[in-house]
Amino acid sequence: MTGHHFAAYSFVDRIVEFDPGQRARGSFAIPADIAAFPSALIAEAVGQLAAWAAMDAIAFRGRPVAALATETRFHGVAGPGDTLELAADLFACDDDAVAYNGSARIAGRTVIELVDCLGPMLPVADFDDPHVLRERLALLRDGGAKPGRFRGIAPLPFDVTDRVPGKSLSALLAVPAAAPFFDDHFPRRPVFPATLLLDTQIRLALDVARDVPSLRGATPHPVKMTHVKMRSFIVPSQRLALGVELTSESDGTLKAMLSATTGERTVASARLWLAADAANSASSDGPVAVSAR
Amino acid sequence: MAEIPVTQDEIMAVFPKVAETMADALGCDVEDIKPDVSLIEGLDAESIDFLDMVFRLERAFKIKIPRGKIIENARGDLTEAEFEQNGIVTERGLAYLREYLSEVPAERFKTPMKVADIPRLFTPTTFCKLVVRAQKEAPAA
Repeated sequence: MTGHHFAAYSFVDRIVEFDPGQRARGSFAIPADIAAFPSALIAEAVGQLAAWAAMDAIAFRGRPVAALATETRFHGVAGPGDTLELAADLFACDDDAVAYNGSARIAGRTVIELVDCLGPMLPVADFDDPHVLRERLALLRDGGAKPGRFRGIAPLPFDVTDRVPGKSLSALLAVPAAAPFFDDHFPRRPVFPATLLLDTQIRLALDVARDVPSLRGATPHPVKMTHVKMRSFIVPSQRLALGVELTSESDGTLKAMLSATTGERTVASARLWLAADAANSASSDGPVAVSAR
Repeated sequence: MAEIPVTQDEIMAVFPKVAETMADALGCDVEDIKPDVSLIEGLDAESIDFLDMVFRLERAFKIKIPRGKIIENARGDLTEAEFEQNGIVTERGLAYLREYLSEVPAERFKTPMKVADIPRLFTPTTFCKLVVRAQKEAPAA
């Protein structure tokens, strides 16, 4: 056990309503002194709240690992100092899988919605100590954990190997051999978080979209992501070939087909829709807050 | 084997919606979903895809499909021990499986067959039958 457990990749620090296998409400205070909190981590926070309600429902025999998200809607962004109000509503939960909807709000304003998410359940003891998890859940429900332990994660670097401006991009992502988040995700078996992969893929898609002539210099931002599917575990030191193929939709949005492959095998895939607001011209590496979203 | 019989007409009645649901889950064209294609060998489906398809079919048809239902149906009135021994399907089990998965060509049933390899036999028709049986067992409210 290291000091990174429940710190380096844990995004629920208080649970205020809890009905195992049914629903949970909780919160996460984003530390004010970190650099950024990407949208993919907001989705992770919602998923983690659902995971607590699912694990408790099956007496910590299993935990959801890897995932499938039918649709994620991005309504706004979160930043350092914000408090995420998290909601997870489970509509199926057994030893095989958990299925849920969820959302995150900031000061009553919805910033993200997750629709029809699915997590296959795997033996919890392969990944973490079930007793430690039970104790953690008791703490989260009994007043909450001490906030501020998350120290931020620097955007993962990638090497662009091919680029057709405004249309497509290929890049290599070298998953780190070691990182604090691996100690938390998970202590007994490090798994590269799907949401960190998604964050990298969103950044790549935004990078390609900036060269789309019809945007005329406006900054694109994610609107929704569909068909997110993790097909296998991604482990430390693994090298992934990432692909983005961008097309313009008839409604003016941009659709990005995202892929992550290793050798011949697709390990993850998703579709991302981007839009741009003319008034929103600030340059940023991440999604940009737009009040009307 | 007290299985609810399913006719070819009933299978074809649900097939278009099943095919559309599967294509969306697998990210392929609906034209690729032929009734008898092996989902794993022909369409590269993996275990997460099966989970995805079952949940999507539940939503699309407003039915409930318990996880592991295909193998449970195939096993019929056999006990688990009669159906498999140490992860290998018994001869009796194989006979039940052949009957339940009657749409699958005989040469695709390997001997010995591991329980873990049974999903390799599944085709869109397998899922159509699952949907029809679920509809008959518990008609949508």
